[in-house]
Amino acid sequence: MPVALTVDGLSVDFDGFKAVNTVSMIVDQGELRVLLGANGAGKTTLMDLISGKTKSTAGRVFLYDTDITNKEEHEIARSGIGRKFQIPSVFKDLTVRRNLEVVSCRNTGVLSNLGFGFSHEGEERVDEVLELIGLTGQAAMVAANLSHGQTQWLELGMLMMQNAKLLLLDEPTAGMTQAETLKTSKIINALKGKHTLLVVEHDMAFVREIAERITVMHLGQVLAEGNVAQIEQNPKVREAYLGSRAIS
Amino acid sequence: MTKRHVEIAVYAIFIAAIMLAPLVLEPFWLNRIAKYLVYGMLGIAVALSWGYAGVLNLGQGLFFGAGAYMLAMSLKLASPTSLQQGSDTPVPDFMLWNAEPGSKTDLCCINKASFLWIPFQNQWFGVAMGILLPVCIAAVIGIILFRKRIAGVFISIITLALVLLVRLLIIDAQPVTNGFNGLTDLGWFKLFDFEFDPYLVQTYYLVAGSLAVVLVAARLLIETRAGLILQAIRDDPNRARYLGFDVPRFQTFFFTVSAGIASFAGMLYVIAAEFASPTFMDLSFSISMVVWAAVGGRASILGACIGAILINTITASVSETKGFAETWKAIIGLIFVLVVLYLPRGLAGFAHDIADWFVARVNGSPHRAAAREADGVQPAE
Repeated sequence: MPVALTVDGLSVDFDGFKAVNTVSMIVDQGELRVLLGANGAGKTTLMDLISGKTKSTAGRVFLYDTDITNKEEHEIARSGIGRKFQIPSVFKDLTVRRNLEVVSCRNTGVLSNLGFGFSHEGEERVDEVLELIGLTGQAAMVAANLSHGQTQWLELGMLMMQNAKLLLLDEPTAGMTQAETLKTSKIINALKGKHTLLVVEHDMAFVREIAERITVMHLGQVLAEGNVAQIEQNPKVREAYLGSRAIS
Repeated sequence: MTKRHVEIAVYAIFIAAIMLAPLVLEPFWLNRIAKYLVYGMLGIAVALSWGYAGVLNLGQGLFFGAGAYMLAMSLKLASPTSLQQGSDTPVPDFMLWNAEPGSKTDLCCINKASFLWIPFQNQWFGVAMGILLPVCIAAVIGIILFRKRIAGVFISIITLALVLLVRLLIIDAQPVTNGFNGLTDLGWFKLFDFEFDPYLVQTYYLVAGSLAVVLVAARLLIETRAGLILQAIRDDPNRARYLGFDVPRFQTFFFTVSAGIASFAGMLYVIAAEFASPTFMDLSFSISMVVWAAVGGRASILGACIGAILINTITASVSETKGFAETWKAIIGLIFVLVVLYLPRGLAGFAHDIADWFVARVNGSPHRAAAREADGVQPAE
């Protein structure tokens, strides 16, 4: 299996506070990796560093063989990383279909987009993605009128359209009902294999549903790595996370 | 029938109306309406940058003024009085009023900066500069502001400060710009051998035709994929960035196009009104443009255009009606307040609602029509 994401000794220093401290990890192609950790462990900051929102002060990030350390956000996105935010962000004044069509513009320049209409394959892909995220019936709806769960799915759909090699998902089930969470885990499971995924999540039930390997972070560092059973039994994780009780 | 048909019909009716206006209007009103059509073009520029790019530029007058001054410099040199200053080459009269005694009567050396006027002896140099200068200024401002990710009210404050700064510079550079008085007593714009006397119907058609072209071009521009991406950026620049779009580049492009339209409007205004003055860069003028667009509907190219024409026509009629001569400003203010309170999407939003109702009625199935209509791009709230 080729390696999709290599993080090597990545650190960021906010005026002396190391939010992420020499984190190294390797994610294989097609893998679904869950990032676990208490609030302030540095999970979201790590995603910020990978996606270019925050510039690192030490270390390197590679997507396959490409060095993407500290590049601009849009350059990192173009090299094949998609990101879903904790607070769902979609283009709320455009219809659901338009949201996906924006992403179907394969060229990202201004002049190359001065034409009309979208490619045939693009439109077909939009229909496909609408089906996958279950929003075919809402295609003509303005995104601002979607429910919270639907907005999250639309954003996932936009990542599918983007066809990124690596997807960073920051708490994709935050604020969802149980039924919505279940549907989300189905969508994410459908992404597995085609994309490499790095998911930040707190909900252990959901983590058990989707996770293969888990990386636990604590105070900006990697505390442990392993499959669900290993992590649940890991004494260091238990101590850092919950005193001495098990993760539930 | 779909909403799209209604929309095309409305555009066609508007263009037909401005083209047929000379049949019913006398020259005096025709010249006035020509100026208002120029304001309509400014409405388009504002709608493009405010409604579609989400950039509230409070300094649109900078580009309007820059375009106006560039062409006015050429037309000033084309004026008969400029040839009667005792030199072989045309010299603007005001330059000699303030010249130091004994200085040469030639553009090269009346004062330190008068040489800047030399290339403007060619009218087409003035025309070219009228577009190029504002577009370059806009591109530089855009690159700096948008690369620095300055957004929202800060852009408004910076553009507002810029237009006032340039206004001050122009007034201050009195020896070359005639300061407060601006450039008056201009010659006529010439195309081949035809002279555009502002009160001729041809001049009206020059303005109306230009407006029709700009209107359709701007509308087509926002229908392109780039236009859709621009609206996406307006809604959520960060989301667009993480999808791989170079956000500042899109913003700069459309900011510059908007500036180009404003500068084109400035040149047409000079042709129709025969002067250029620092009042073009007054704060109140740039704010007025925003008001026109807000009343007409900033998320609609045609709405903002009609808003500008309508408000100015109403202003002219009301302010000249006996009895309203004192109170007309209050009336205009009241219209503005009412529209903002009850029609937040402007007149265009109201028209859209009527069109929805109309389409639904014609098709007999309101549900299906509404669904089809929603396929179109939704205006910003």
